[in-house]
Amino acid sequence: MPTLSMTVNGKPVSGEAEGRTLLVQFLRETLRLTGTHVGCDTSQCGACLVHIDGKAVKSCTTLALACAGASITTIEGLARDGKLHPMQEAFRENHGLQCGFCTPGMIMSAIDMVNRKGTDLDEQTIRHELEGNICRCTGYHNIVKSIAAGAAAMGKEGLRQAAE
Amino acid sequence: MAMTMSGEVVLPADKATVWAKLNDPETLKNSIPGCQSLEKTSDTSFAAVAKIKIGPVSATFRGKVNLEDLDPPNGYRIAGEGEGGVAGFAKGGAVVKLSDDPAGTKLAYDVEAQIGGKLAQLGARLINGVAKKLADEFFAKFAEAVKAGA
Amino acid sequence: MSATGIGARVVRKEDHRFITGKGRYVDDINRPGQSHAYFVRSPHAHATIKSVDASEALKKPGVLAVFTGADIAADKIGGLICGWMIHSKDGSPMKAGAHPALAQGKARYVGDHVAVVIAETLAQARDGAEAVVVDYEELPPLPDMTLATAKGAAAIHAEAPDNIVYNWHLGDKAATDAAFAKAKHVTKLDIVNNRLVPNAMEPRAAIGEYDDGDGVFTLYTTSQNPHVARLVLSAFIGIAPENKLRVIAPDVGGGFGSKIFIYAEETICVWAAKKVGRPVKWTADRTEEFLAVAHGRDHLTHAELALDGDNRILGMRVSTKANLGAYLSTFASSVPTYLYAPLLSGQYNIPSIYCEVDGVYTTTAPVDAYRGAGRPEATYVVERLIEVAARERRMDPTAFREMNFVRQFPHQTPVIMMYDAGNYPLALKTAMDMHDVKTFAQRRSESERRGKLRGLGYSAYIEACGIAPSAAVGSLGAGVGLWESAEVRVNPIGTVEVLTGSHAHGQGHETTFAQVVADRLGIPIENVSIVHGDTDKVQMGMGTYGSRSGAVGISAIVKALDKVVAKGKKVASHVLEASEGDIEFKDGQFQVKGTDKKAGFGDIALQAYIAHKFNGQELEPGLKEGAFYDPTNFTFPAGVHICELEIDPSTGATEIKKWTAVDDFGNVINPMIVEGQVHGGIAQGVGQALAEQAVYDKSGQLLTASYMDYCMPRADDLPSFEIGMITTPAPSNPLGLKGCGEAGAIAAPPAVINAITDALGHEDIAMPATPQAVWRACQKRPSRLAAE
Ligand code: FES
Ligand code: FES
Repeated sequence: MPTLSMTVNGKPVSGEAEGRTLLVQFLRETLRLTGTHVGCDTSQCGACLVHIDGKAVKSCTTLALACAGASITTIEGLARDGKLHPMQEAFRENHGLQCGFCTPGMIMSAIDMVNRKGTDLDEQTIRHELEGNICRCTGYHNIVKSIAAGAAAMGKEGLRQAAE
Repeated sequence: MAMTMSGEVVLPADKATVWAKLNDPETLKNSIPGCQSLEKTSDTSFAAVAKIKIGPVSATFRGKVNLEDLDPPNGYRIAGEGEGGVAGFAKGGAVVKLSDDPAGTKLAYDVEAQIGGKLAQLGARLINGVAKKLADEFFAKFAEAVKAGA
Repeated sequence: MSATGIGARVVRKEDHRFITGKGRYVDDINRPGQSHAYFVRSPHAHATIKSVDASEALKKPGVLAVFTGADIAADKIGGLICGWMIHSKDGSPMKAGAHPALAQGKARYVGDHVAVVIAETLAQARDGAEAVVVDYEELPPLPDMTLATAKGAAAIHAEAPDNIVYNWHLGDKAATDAAFAKAKHVTKLDIVNNRLVPNAMEPRAAIGEYDDGDGVFTLYTTSQNPHVARLVLSAFIGIAPENKLRVIAPDVGGGFGSKIFIYAEETICVWAAKKVGRPVKWTADRTEEFLAVAHGRDHLTHAELALDGDNRILGMRVSTKANLGAYLSTFASSVPTYLYAPLLSGQYNIPSIYCEVDGVYTTTAPVDAYRGAGRPEATYVVERLIEVAARERRMDPTAFREMNFVRQFPHQTPVIMMYDAGNYPLALKTAMDMHDVKTFAQRRSESERRGKLRGLGYSAYIEACGIAPSAAVGSLGAGVGLWESAEVRVNPIGTVEVLTGSHAHGQGHETTFAQVVADRLGIPIENVSIVHGDTDKVQMGMGTYGSRSGAVGISAIVKALDKVVAKGKKVASHVLEASEGDIEFKDGQFQVKGTDKKAGFGDIALQAYIAHKFNGQELEPGLKEGAFYDPTNFTFPAGVHICELEIDPSTGATEIKKWTAVDDFGNVINPMIVEGQVHGGIAQGVGQALAEQAVYDKSGQLLTASYMDYCMPRADDLPSFEIGMITTPAPSNPLGLKGCGEAGAIAAPPAVINAITDALGHEDIAMPATPQAVWRACQKRPSRLAAE
């Protein structure tokens, strides 16, 4: 089996992967990062969403070997020095999760949304952009609220960091 | 789930040639897309192995093929059923009719098939397109064989 | 109200692990030396299994074993059970066929478990399964109730020769017929309640493990009720006695009913673990989940409502055929009977009701409880009948409801239930005000100007939750009692662990239960931990479903807390040197009445364990109390939902513009969590009304077996919801809780369809009202407008 090296959550990692090994399997089984979930077989639900080189990608339809050398961020890599990412904080504050199964994918998708669309997101944009993420528990109401709040918080954070 | 398809092709050979090819295992084997083996088990039946991919499902089908309602050289019904293991099953038949045509022989076919298991669950929306493609491939190869043998 | 007490919007304690990716779901767990299971499933809807040849599969690399029905029969592993006995009209017991964990002789639906391959890796197990040769002889597929009950249809189970499991009925037929005989108007409807797939986002999974040192089995499983799973696996299926079987349901990614049941897959994993001497893991892929999880709903109903000349309801007659699938799942028999017909009185005074239900076997996946279970089906019947009757009588639908509402409590319905508290007119009025119904006409004409059709639909639902008084359900055929247990363990420094038989899979029990404990004991919420989901920790429990965790689960906790306080008072009387009767407990302090002598909860806990201040022979040291709480009645959450939507007649697309819900859940522990439950329920109900449907074709193939073909509601299909609440506390439990988990899913479907039919001007549309169906309905002339 070929050995694969990449950067995951800022740390260099390597492990063995077959040609057919999916990125999500590599993350969950080889690296034991089980925050990234599998909810479907057809690339529809978004539970497996991670960032590859800063872009949101469904890890259930990405071959692990195709990610050699890439920099990958998973839900486990968002909090820094024990401090939650503003989007994580927003999901908690706004009750944006119930069973938590879709949540890692939702949060990764939301951050990507902010990266692409900015920090001032209206409801319609958020709902539209969530096309690739399914949640069965929340009816999306509080996810939409969480994302709007998280986006605004990311905006403030960015300003603060810029000022520092 | 059920799938139906019909069509016709004109083959550049006379009816007798086409009919002979339609009954020749070697020609059928070369023409059936993905066919890995086709062995005669009696005058009118074969054991077949074919590898087919429908959308996300690919499978090796093992099954039998029977020639029925033989009406040489005007046509027959070719019926088969195969189990694709975890992928499911496929069974069905095609009524094939030959008639004279100024350009050779006209072959009309009428296919009716049932698929089940994973094929139906994941491949349902693709099955008609795939079937058409498989039929086209079959007749392209078959026409070549007929031409070569004519 | 304190910041973390009962009634506060406390942010969830459990969230930290979920938002950081540290949740621990079954598939996240790996056991040393584990092997993997892959099931060989029938591709045929109905077939005799002539032989299963595993010889090639066993030669494949990594394959450890292949098991079939013969192997479980040889080990005397019992079949899966249906735990609720229903009797037919003639008194005969339901006709249930056997439900082996691996098919024996026959496969009865596409996805039925025919064999299992166990291998070193999942890929090897799958490759092994590919090599298992099953020789099937096909039998006629009977994927719908019409085919299955047709004359001469093949029997799916020999026990039920005509594929009818039961002909059940409830209510007084003669009285109802008499009511119809004197009616001035009768409204009639034919109703389809579409078949759904629950689709918790976490697919089911299981890991079975066997320790041959001490002979103990452990099963990690995606269950809403690990103790019920243990009971069934032990007492009925015969895996091992309960003391040798530990069931753990860790974080579970949604259930909605589908994870109540004991399925073939977990049964096989735990059984096979001993056979192969290795832990055995199985995780469903989404398609397997579609094929083999218990589906929901699937009713065909004819319903009639009789009115007098003043438009008062005289009676209701309902005849339903319920598809139970190919085998009776754990609670399948109760869903279309006792969870359905007793709710047909809705919020209304209906003097007589008669309901008959045929339970039907078909060659489809088993059908069982899905969010609401029977109550959404009943509410859909009632609220469609009410709306259509009002329209036929040219009455405003709200005035018609008002006129027929139950207003006096307690209210005995003709179908078992005794409503104990509610205020239906208030919920309706509050919802109408919040929704600004008054200005609907303007919004409608504004839509018309844009070429759109706008509709407004109501749903005044009631449900029976807090299931359920054990003796009552026992008399109706339930095989179990539906109480709940709790154990409160106070540690010497005053922190508390509460062990509950309820199970959280999204409901936030770790927060709401802790709120109750913190509130009652006057201690910080951080000092409270909720323990659930492990039969080695929690002694016994009945689990979470039927919106019972508040009304029953919390009531058990409250009962145990009362015992803790009572014991604390005894200890305090020694510590504070006062008589026990003079000790009060308030805000976390034990105090001698009328004095300033007091001691904090933590101090008394410590004293209880040190046991220096009292005689340990007279008063037991320690502070730990348990309780079993058996409810005295069902609870009756009720409310009104209003759906306003707009149809584009050129495309058939329906857009929900506004949704108002006013619910009465009795007292509420955490409004934030309750609102979340309502949101999720509405989304599932809207999904049923507009999008979702499980479709089997004539040959019994499931055509909707992935998210490409089964339409799940997405963020863009839904609006934000306006949620309001009114409160009439439930008189039957200590905190006055009613339950909120299913309300939205029960209320939503008729609200949507009433709104669509309001917009269309005729009643000719069935669920799911997909754009195609709505477009077609738009081509039909509006009967109401035409008649006006
Ligand atoms: S698991 Fe990747 S999209 Fe569903
Ligand atoms: S929180 Fe359960 S699926 Fe989204």
